[in-house]
Amino acid sequence: GCGTDTEDETYIIRLGHQLDINHPVHKGLVFLKEELERRSNGSMSIVIYPSSQVGDEREVLELIQIGSMGMTKVSASALESFVPEMKVFSLPYLFNNQEHYWKTLNGNVGKELLAAGQPYRFKGLGYFDAGSRSFYTTKKQVVTPDDLQGQKIRVMNSQTAVSMVNTMGGAATPVSWGELYTSLQQGVVDGAENNLPSFYYSKHYEVSQYLILDEHTSIPDVIIIGTHVWEQLNAEQQKWLEESMLAATDFQRELWAESTLESLEVVKKAGVEVIEADKSVFQESVLPVYESLKGSDLEALVKQIKSLGVEQ
Amino acid sequence: MKTLSGIIPTLNKALRVLLATMMALLVLNVTWQVITRFVLPHPSSFTEELARFFLIWISLLGSAYAFHTHSHLGFDYLTKKMQSNAAVTTAKLGYVLVILFALGVLVIGGVNLTYITFLLKQESPVLGIPMGYVYLVVPISGCLFILYGVWGLIEVKDPSNLREHAL
Amino acid sequence: MTSLVLFGVFFILLLINVPIAVSIIVATLATMLLTIDTLPALTTLAQRLAVGVDSFALLAIPFFVLSGYLMGQGGIAVRLIEFAKVLVGKLPGGLAFVNIISCALFGSISGSAVAATSAVGGFMVPAMEKEGYNRPFSTAVTVTAATTGMLIPPSNILIIYSLASGGVSIAALFIAGYLPGLLVTAFLMMGAAFYIKRAGIAADSNIEVGKFWPSLFGAIPCLFLIVLIIGGIIGGLFTPTEAGAIAVLYSLVLALGVYKELSVRDLYPILLKTVGTTAIVMFLIGASASMSWLMSYEEIPQAISNSLLSVSENTIIILLIMNLILLAVGTFMDVTPAVLIFTPIFLPIAEMLNISPLHFGIMMILNLSIGLCTPPVGSVLFVGCSIGKVSISEIMKPILPLYVAMIFALALTIIFPEISEFLPKLLGLI
Ligand code: NA
Ligand code: NA
Repeated sequence: GCGTDTEDETYIIRLGHQLDINHPVHKGLVFLKEELERRSNGSMSIVIYPSSQVGDEREVLELIQIGSMGMTKVSASALESFVPEMKVFSLPYLFNNQEHYWKTLNGNVGKELLAAGQPYRFKGLGYFDAGSRSFYTTKKQVVTPDDLQGQKIRVMNSQTAVSMVNTMGGAATPVSWGELYTSLQQGVVDGAENNLPSFYYSKHYEVSQYLILDEHTSIPDVIIIGTHVWEQLNAEQQKWLEESMLAATDFQRELWAESTLESLEVVKKAGVEVIEADKSVFQESVLPVYESLKGSDLEALVKQIKSLGVEQ
Repeated sequence: MKTLSGIIPTLNKALRVLLATMMALLVLNVTWQVITRFVLPHPSSFTEELARFFLIWISLLGSAYAFHTHSHLGFDYLTKKMQSNAAVTTAKLGYVLVILFALGVLVIGGVNLTYITFLLKQESPVLGIPMGYVYLVVPISGCLFILYGVWGLIEVKDPSNLREHAL
Repeated sequence: MTSLVLFGVFFILLLINVPIAVSIIVATLATMLLTIDTLPALTTLAQRLAVGVDSFALLAIPFFVLSGYLMGQGGIAVRLIEFAKVLVGKLPGGLAFVNIISCALFGSISGSAVAATSAVGGFMVPAMEKEGYNRPFSTAVTVTAATTGMLIPPSNILIIYSLASGGVSIAALFIAGYLPGLLVTAFLMMGAAFYIKRAGIAADSNIEVGKFWPSLFGAIPCLFLIVLIIGGIIGGLFTPTEAGAIAVLYSLVLALGVYKELSVRDLYPILLKTVGTTAIVMFLIGASASMSWLMSYEEIPQAISNSLLSVSENTIIILLIMNLILLAVGTFMDVTPAVLIFTPIFLPIAEMLNISPLHFGIMMILNLSIGLCTPPVGSVLFVGCSIGKVSISEIMKPILPLYVAMIFALALTIIFPEISEFLPKLLGLI
């Protein structure tokens, strides 16, 4: 996953991720690479492999454990199968608002979650903004959870996501990402859910009529470095990387905000009807999800995060 | 060698039954995925993942069996023109290479992969089963490749049975 | 250096008839060991072999192979072919044209070239053999015609291109693919006609046109299979991959229940045959995935294009070089990683040459679809050869005129961008 280029003594870390090069997340990673090169005077660099060239999220995480990749950017939901604590981010309406979200990520809880990967050979370096996920549908206008009744909604491969949509009243339907565009077009599913830039970049807006901004989940992206690489770095190198990460986080957050606005504009222009949702109704519909957490490992963590929202 | 010639037919039979059963289950599983979308209020969510795992098992176990039946694609252009002695040597070299590949990649690499996924407790996203069980098929098929490879190496000594044993 | 080891080891192993899949993996391993430690390298390869086939869309292969075998042995294919013969049997090479059209039709609906090869090749190759065509030619026709489905919509690979290009509308790409896809189909027919004439294949055996109604009547339940699959996909009842499982069930019902040409006992050997074909192809796909992984990791395609593109500044020469690189790399790399890697490298150059991203995408997919049918690495070729039971050296002679046909179609599309841009413009999509 890493190595020294003998000719110019540059320490190289290999980073694979899933998004294409136009995505704001990729641009954030390029910024991280340039920042690291600048701070280390060219003695360190990152080779970025975009578009799943070296594997999808789950596979690259494995390659880090195996030792042939050094870094990655994954959605916290892809980390669930490796680091159980990460399931917390898939809970609907965990955060009250943006402030609560960033207060959690930048605070102790966020730091503890980044460290929670250590036993699994992952060190979390920081978070990238991945916005909030909302529903989009092809035929039926959805305003309240009741409208989801009987609608086949494609969800990510995650038990939490399946139970969330089913609890709201929809019918969570597994469709592979590659088959989703045509599945929406032909009507195999009636809708799906994602954040705005992905709704835009995947071109799903071409075949969807309605976007409902219910913002049910806010699942951050996590930048991961393999512990085998991290432990090889000396204190100075670790510091360069951490500082670059902080700078990249701010940069990417701004890019993300711009990209979200731009995406919203484009999909509106393309004729998608954008509906503002009464989030409180949706929030109420998912209360059973929290009921079912009683007594589970996540309960304490959820309480901790919720309390951060109350203090404001 | 006696034991090997006793084991192989039994092994083949077991492998064939297992593979045919998995293929039938694969069809039923995906049909079920379609049906549940129309009859159940909540479509089954595990079928897609299960189907993919079946495919991994069928592919790797099946390719070991296909090695035994000499079904894998190759280029026979040069070996066809060879003298029989040279052809036997080349065929033997081929078997040795396949055995080395199976030992290195499938057995050593596969055991390590399985070990890491069990040790670090990775679970499949939907079914929640340890991913180690999915990857376990890699070293298993590696052992089969080696077994069939050694058997082929013993068998291929006479130029007259070369046609059958061309890889 | 890395490319030299990779391709050098690969060709030496191929020459001594080591299975292609093993040759690919061993060559990949030898190259990996130059930069990655031994245990991580071995483990990464083990993972690639498993996850290389960990894809729902790949299930189309076992399903359509199985339904093809069921149709072949269960009396379904015979009735379809009888009907087709009545329609086109008077033409020399009629069945070859039926094969090409079936592949284009099926490929266009399923969006996948390997699915089309497995579905159509399974019964068309034996049927053509019965009418006096040789197996290698029948397989060659299936393999090349199946790729047209990647251009005629819907198409998985055009969706991938849209993502990689970061802006081209999928709807526009889908419409743009029609004419080039049909152009390739037409050229393949000419290529096949050329081969048939040279090989002296006569008109298909004695067929009476008066048999139209009985043959149509006999084929109705079988024709309904086509209606069910096409209707089900277009009507949103199931995805193209799931359609494979439905095709298996419907063929089973016809073979066991209606025609009674199969008994439950016959299913076991058919399942085993399916497993055999599936495993051979999947092992190759897993192996190709390993090689593609390494080529991405070592940035080999980037290195090749950097060195070649610096040769000239002339736009026509650059366009030619880009196409030659795609043709060359397409012979080794599967089409999805090739699109993901080359789009960001070539698209900016293409735009400098005033080639629209829409046209460039169609050109690239058409180009790479040739690579899917060429040795040493081509998944459609592999599927075809395992289904048609022909070796790769046998297929080379009959497939050559078909390569030429595809290259002609590619050249025309490159020279006349209107072939891809006319329909989207007409519909106001660009
Ligand atoms: Na298509
Ligand atoms: Na090829």
